[in-house]
Amino acid sequence: MFSPTTPGYTRHAEFRGRLAAALLGIVLLVATALAWGAGEALLAVVYPDIGEPYREIFEKIIEGIEDKAGTPVGNYPVRPGTDIGALKTSLRRQNAKVVIALGRQGMKTAAALDHSMGMVVGCVLTVPESEARGQPVISLSPDPALLFARLKALMPAAKRVFVVYDPGFNGWLMKLAKEAARAQGMELVAYEAQDLRTALRFYQEIFSATDSRRDALWLPQDPATVEERSILPLVLQESWNQGLAVFSSNVGHVRRGVLFSLYPDNVALGKSLAGLAQGILATGGYGKRGMMPLRDVQIAVNLRTAKHLGLNLSHQQQSFDMAFPEP
Amino acid sequence: MNRSIARLVVVGLTVALAAGAYASQEGEEEELALAYGDKSFVTIASGTRQPVSRAPSVATVITAEDIAAIGAADLDEVLETVPGVHVSRSPILYNPIYIIRGISTQYNPQVLMLVNGIPVTGVFTGNRSQIWGGMPVENIARIEVIRGPGSALYGADAFSGVINIITRTAADIKGTELGVRAGSFKSRDAWVQHGGAWGEFAVAAYLRVGATEGQREMIGRDAATALGTSLAPGPVNLGRDAIDARLDLARDKWRLRAGYQQRDNVGNGAGVASALDPKGSNSGERVSADLTWQDANFGRDLDVTAQASYLNITERSDLTLYPPGSFGFPDGVIGNPYKWERHLRFNLSAFYTGFQSHKLRFGAGTQDDDLYRTRETKNFSTPAPGVLSPLGSVVDVSDSAPFLRPHSRRVNHVYVQDEWAFARDWYLTAGVRHDQYSDFGGTTNPRLALVWETAYNLTSKLLYGRAFRPPSFAELYNINNPVALGNPNLKPETNESVELAFAWQPASTLQTNLSLFRYRMKDILRFVQNPDATITAQNAGEQTGQGFEVELAWEASGSLRLSGNYAQQRSIDAATDRDAGNAPRHHVYARADWRFMPAWTLNTQLNYVADRKREPSDTRPLIADYHTVDLTLRNQKRSANWDLAFTVRNLFNADAREPSPAPGLIPNDLPLAPREWRFEVRHQL
Repeated sequence: MFSPTTPGYTRHAEFRGRLAAALLGIVLLVATALAWGAGEALLAVVYPDIGEPYREIFEKIIEGIEDKAGTPVGNYPVRPGTDIGALKTSLRRQNAKVVIALGRQGMKTAAALDHSMGMVVGCVLTVPESEARGQPVISLSPDPALLFARLKALMPAAKRVFVVYDPGFNGWLMKLAKEAARAQGMELVAYEAQDLRTALRFYQEIFSATDSRRDALWLPQDPATVEERSILPLVLQESWNQGLAVFSSNVGHVRRGVLFSLYPDNVALGKSLAGLAQGILATGGYGKRGMMPLRDVQIAVNLRTAKHLGLNLSHQQQSFDMAFPEP
Repeated sequence: MNRSIARLVVVGLTVALAAGAYASQEGEEEELALAYGDKSFVTIASGTRQPVSRAPSVATVITAEDIAAIGAADLDEVLETVPGVHVSRSPILYNPIYIIRGISTQYNPQVLMLVNGIPVTGVFTGNRSQIWGGMPVENIARIEVIRGPGSALYGADAFSGVINIITRTAADIKGTELGVRAGSFKSRDAWVQHGGAWGEFAVAAYLRVGATEGQREMIGRDAATALGTSLAPGPVNLGRDAIDARLDLARDKWRLRAGYQQRDNVGNGAGVASALDPKGSNSGERVSADLTWQDANFGRDLDVTAQASYLNITERSDLTLYPPGSFGFPDGVIGNPYKWERHLRFNLSAFYTGFQSHKLRFGAGTQDDDLYRTRETKNFSTPAPGVLSPLGSVVDVSDSAPFLRPHSRRVNHVYVQDEWAFARDWYLTAGVRHDQYSDFGGTTNPRLALVWETAYNLTSKLLYGRAFRPPSFAELYNINNPVALGNPNLKPETNESVELAFAWQPASTLQTNLSLFRYRMKDILRFVQNPDATITAQNAGEQTGQGFEVELAWEASGSLRLSGNYAQQRSIDAATDRDAGNAPRHHVYARADWRFMPAWTLNTQLNYVADRKREPSDTRPLIADYHTVDLTLRNQKRSANWDLAFTVRNLFNADAREPSPAPGLIPNDLPLAPREWRFEVRHQL
């Protein structure tokens, strides 16, 4: 009744109103200035125009690319309906020499562009060999060599690694994995399965044959053999009951109960992609082509599972990028 | 899933691409999810926030993403979503009463609020101080709410629960964010926050300016109605102006934080004496600083933290307790209490993991709570209960007859806690803390937590804890107010609680929690009438309670998440064997987050508050149940990092009311806000 009309109140209200208007004005001015600030850059990034929280992944990778490149690069968020002609014009105007294509949509769009530009692909799991042959592709699949080295560090007694995989999806990775296991003094026991039923049978075989003191199970990024609704709960339950160490290439599984996972270090991945692109710029040709596993990784560990397995990780705890649940 | 389907989902995106933008995004996201985990995990894996801490107690963690999703503008709107927590209102400034598991009191000192682990408690009434004026949420990284006693770790006031607010650091903000919000009741806020590097320092800074006239729902009758002088029917007075600022500097093992909160023109709610007071207003400031040093490798297996902190609270209330004409006072009964508090704390804590099967946490600290100045002007004296004598005009009674004289207390504490892995999958946490007060003496509070990792997807916990709430300075030292006299011979009130809790994940997309509890409060601090009709603080009364909370969170599909909780409790006042009153016996909260298009989310929440009994001495009929529905539509970072949100709260304009205290001087209770809307814009530079 009185307070809104008291002089003090009105004065304060007006002041706040002016301040709010001023802040809004600053927002608009800065945004406009940024929009006009595009310049020439030899590298361009084409990536999916995607909502949060996934957008953050690409922002981080771009941050890494720009960091390594030392200059801002042209950023082009793309969608299925993106006008390829307009994008080509923009890239020409920018004088882009190498396109870094991120994600499935980024790769598809970049493939439709001018082939005179070099191309580097990242942030996809796998691409058919025929498509990967033309340029370097850094996969989102962690390098088995890094996975196995971590396994050895966490569980020094590990001798055998079991895996069930779809050859059409992860065949390329298993070739690397066999070598990587050997390098760690371990054996990779790999089962090929192309459907859920076969995969399930192999898991049952594995659980009846493993010795939890020296064996471990690897869950690759494989939607057929690491199906989330039926296979994953079974694997988690059986491995818990048997005390078998399970590690995964999908970091989300750590919260579900697998011992550890390696996941992309987005900024470092961006730097690696920029490094490849700079190589193309410098030499005018591709040094490497085809699928490459992800080597820019961080580690997530489930301490609850580690304790259940009887692994004492307290001395290594600080080297983990992520720990579930927190101690 | 056979091979061809699997490929359709992840690799064969050609079909999905042709199906349009949304399908394309779904496919892209599913592919990313195979590396980064599901959506809720991505924000962690992409480094935007740290994994949540899991206290060995019944805890809820609310992230900045949750806060944004529900369109909350104030802390209270967030806390209402926590299972077992209901935010009620006091007639005094409409201050929040955080009712946790049925424990409800007008000043609400039984809930410990921490900002970055440091109490914000004022010593006058033992709560977050009387001139609170809300807390904005833009600078909050996460909120951890622990239900049940926590004094064995946190000390005083961790009685019915602990609310720990973690503010955003440089890593959380990353760059500069500008935001504005405007809405009903002439509410408007503007803020800017920045996170970055300054030389070798990580810097986070935040500034917010806000103002509102507050909702203006009507009070039909109040304490002055019987005097014939009431301003009722009239609206509640909830206007305020607010400034909040924070600075966070970190380098190596050091972190320096500073905070400033100013509240001006804060309305008196429904009146400090339950009589509408549109003329009176309040203002206050909080100035805080803390310096923390942490060395995770102080020694082998030893993590040591030292922290010094400072908090200064200033409160100025200019009140017309009863309107003009009341008790023969032509200008009304006027009282203007001012007070100044200063709190200094120093804590040292250590975490040792060098023993096989044991994790040892121990610490010690000292604090100085100093209510170093009071000032009061008023136009009345109260020689006896119910008697108001005019002083002729508003006179300064600071030296002659103030409401309180300056007092201080020193508190020293020491605690130890051990987590012992005594068998495979079994853990016993045992802890005890002793607090020594310079005024009333010492109190020792233990806790025990038995945790069993029952299965890969099930954890079971059995918890016991004891808590205390020290008498406030108002309860110890109030003078010249015959209806609320202090008593220096008080001891703390206590709460003992036993809980059984289960966390079960029956499927990858479904998380459930169940907590069952019983508690017993003793030596409750209350103002009790004496034979001469004066009222003095006493340790009087017991209260027992029991209940449970169920939580569910279900990722129904890639674009729809459903979550909610149901809390039931029954709290009984031992003296009367009647319900202790004011707390809902049933509380349901349900929420749906639907991403119906790329970057667009629609959040709906339902809040149902039911079966609130009156206090034993209150003969009014039961207060009506209510349910409110809120909607938030958000478009996030579509282009150039813009984030827009539109929120409607109380969509169906429900008549929601919180109980006025016994005996019901405001008979028809305290109306909450009607339908209100807000529009918010954020921009990340």
